[in-house]
Amino acid sequence: MDKRTPWGRVVTRSSITGVITVAVVIALWFFLTSVTGIVGQYRFPSPQDFLASFVRLATEGYAGGTLIEQTLQSLWLVACGFFTAIVIGVPLGFAMGYDRRIEAFLNPVFLLLRPIPPLAWIPLAIVWLGLSDGSKILVIFVAAFVPSVINTFTGVRNVDRTLVEAAKVHGAGTSRLISEVYLPDAAPMIFTGLRLSLQASWTTLVAAELVGAFLGLGRVLSTAYRDINTAMILVAMVVIAIAGAFTTILLAQVEKRVIKWRTT
Amino acid sequence: MRRDYGPLWPWSVAGLVLFFGIWQAVVSAGLVSNFVLPSPLEVLDRTITLLGRPFAGYLLHEHVFSSFMRFLGGFSLAAVIGVPLGLMMGRFRLLEDIVTPLFEGYRYVAPLAWVPFAALWFGTGIGGPIMVIFTGAFAPCVINAYRGARLVDTYLIEAAQTHGAGEFRIAKEVLLPGALPSIVAGLRISAGLGWQSLIGAELIVVSSGIGYVMVQGQSNLSPSTVMTAMFVIGLVGLGIDFVLRFVEARVRAKWEGK
Amino acid sequence: MSDIQFDGVTKVFGRGGKPFTAIGGIDFHVNDNEFISVVGPSGCGKTTLMRMVAGLETPTDGEVRVGGEKVTKPGPDRAVVFQQFALFPWKTVRKNITFGMRSRGASKAERDEAVAHYLKLMKMEGTEDSYPHQLSGGMQQRVAIARSYATDPGVLLMDEPFGALDAQTRTIMQEELVRLSHVNPRTVLFITHSVEEAVYLADRVVVMGRNPGKIREVIDVASTRKAEKWSEEPIDDVMEMPSFTHLRGQVWRLLREEMGEDI
Repeated sequence: MDKRTPWGRVVTRSSITGVITVAVVIALWFFLTSVTGIVGQYRFPSPQDFLASFVRLATEGYAGGTLIEQTLQSLWLVACGFFTAIVIGVPLGFAMGYDRRIEAFLNPVFLLLRPIPPLAWIPLAIVWLGLSDGSKILVIFVAAFVPSVINTFTGVRNVDRTLVEAAKVHGAGTSRLISEVYLPDAAPMIFTGLRLSLQASWTTLVAAELVGAFLGLGRVLSTAYRDINTAMILVAMVVIAIAGAFTTILLAQVEKRVIKWRTT
Repeated sequence: MRRDYGPLWPWSVAGLVLFFGIWQAVVSAGLVSNFVLPSPLEVLDRTITLLGRPFAGYLLHEHVFSSFMRFLGGFSLAAVIGVPLGLMMGRFRLLEDIVTPLFEGYRYVAPLAWVPFAALWFGTGIGGPIMVIFTGAFAPCVINAYRGARLVDTYLIEAAQTHGAGEFRIAKEVLLPGALPSIVAGLRISAGLGWQSLIGAELIVVSSGIGYVMVQGQSNLSPSTVMTAMFVIGLVGLGIDFVLRFVEARVRAKWEGK
Repeated sequence: MSDIQFDGVTKVFGRGGKPFTAIGGIDFHVNDNEFISVVGPSGCGKTTLMRMVAGLETPTDGEVRVGGEKVTKPGPDRAVVFQQFALFPWKTVRKNITFGMRSRGASKAERDEAVAHYLKLMKMEGTEDSYPHQLSGGMQQRVAIARSYATDPGVLLMDEPFGALDAQTRTIMQEELVRLSHVNPRTVLFITHSVEEAVYLADRVVVMGRNPGKIREVIDVASTRKAEKWSEEPIDDVMEMPSFTHLRGQVWRLLREEMGEDI
């Protein structure tokens, strides 16, 4: 049965099982690497190596920068690509959902370009912009653009017709209709799009930085690969995951503030 | 009350004509160099050339074939492991509690971040790319099978139990078919992510396949080759999605009687 | 022998909130091949009682024995017919009917024979390859009943099997069930909301009370049915016979007392 801790958190059977699982995995990791050496350091690092590499990255740096510098570089690129994409993508998706002529106008081109995975844009971006920040922002933009357009479009297209009619009956003009009916009703769907966009941004960033970069977490990953430094590979993976999780949680917080009326 | 816009197809035609028109015009007018943006016709021409003359060691369709076989390997592996795992998680609470924390951690690691380990563990020939595809395609397989299994009516599971079915039969004849619509939807997402992960892996460490064609095209400063590859990648992705969409429609038709 | 013995069966539910006693100590014996109807106000635990026989719930205290064996888990000797039919939507009528038979490894010839036999009995010939969604509610429940009979269980547990059907279909199904239990007598535990249905079908009617769920009274119907030859008359005529209305009134009075101010 559920119990409350002094901190007020509910301790469930699931969370206990979860903690035990994680503990067992860490113990197993110790056992296979440090204790018995069944898994050698060129396959997977031991926990000590992992921590040492983490400290090394944080203090003296690796692959051209410290932990903070590398992380900030990656965050910056994701932010640039992501925000450019949503600033253009959300209004575009909105327009396509709102007016069928705009949809008909843009959809064929969209259908033509959509099947191309964002990662496939990387070589073209490099041809156009070299290994600069610009080429990565371009690729992240492409990746983040598609989900924000599609989901905004779907959200707006599926707006509750009765709400629209109710607003019209009560004398709302186009601008009030958009800001007080369409936007709020489509908001949950728009946020779903943003979440997917953010996820795509990170995937693409990692790929783009692996292909070629001078700084960034993907650069740490590719340098560590070339050095066969498995500990540093793992550090980079973990930092990328944490950075991704951090931005996702940030977005979820924004969503919670914006969509206050939602009960679930 | 539905707004009437008149026929919509002229808008679609206008969009397409404008897109290709501007593209062709920009190139024809010499606004950008051929080394930056080839015209649509040049891309088409290049596609035909690559089908007949080897590039980066092989013909275009040979590259595509080798990529596709890798994709099939990784994708099948993800489905064969992920779907049963998801179903079992939906049936057994304990397994769900054990897997969930590990899965949550894994989900935040971008699939491409596995490339270094994949290459170190399984090489860059077949094993490594398959692992990268697997890591990309695994999550939706598990999540959708799990959700599907949770949505299977409790009464159906109880009916199976009271008619003497063991856990294996419940999994095979109740959970799997009950969750199938959700599973197939998950497979479509998986396939898209797996295909894209493979392209990523081929850009980074693998030296064959359609992704490698792009890398070579890029270093030869041949954007028409790069764009040909992009076009083909999109086409194959569309084909994969088409097949799975067909399967999805069939499953729904049979299950829901539509 | 497939008799059911309830020995001090108690069931307490206690997840999250405060514990709730659904069944408070039931001792009762159902004879082999006896048809028992269970009626009672909602919340009296009649479904819980049935689920414990099925092995889908475990008693908090006491035990249920079927044919002398303690019930610990679901098994094909105790088939359940659910109100929601619980047919597998992705299986044809044939595959649904033979589901339980395949659990005990019946041969193909045996299964084909059973399908033919039950579809004929249910007047549903020609539907073997249909899917459940192509059938009406009444036909779906016939298939579910056939599925349970085909498993050849000692005990049949029916949880308001006709609750989701319209009035006409329901009457037809009641008649058919009487006919079926003549051909294939089984120990039956039949849960229902309908007093008429309970009296018409059962050898004995168990009236339950609530807070906690317990047996209020057991009324014998079998002797009256035999004396008045109910089974030789159509259902509508039976329901107008004084012997029937008398028993119905008796059950009704008990039930009304149990429901108290809920009416």
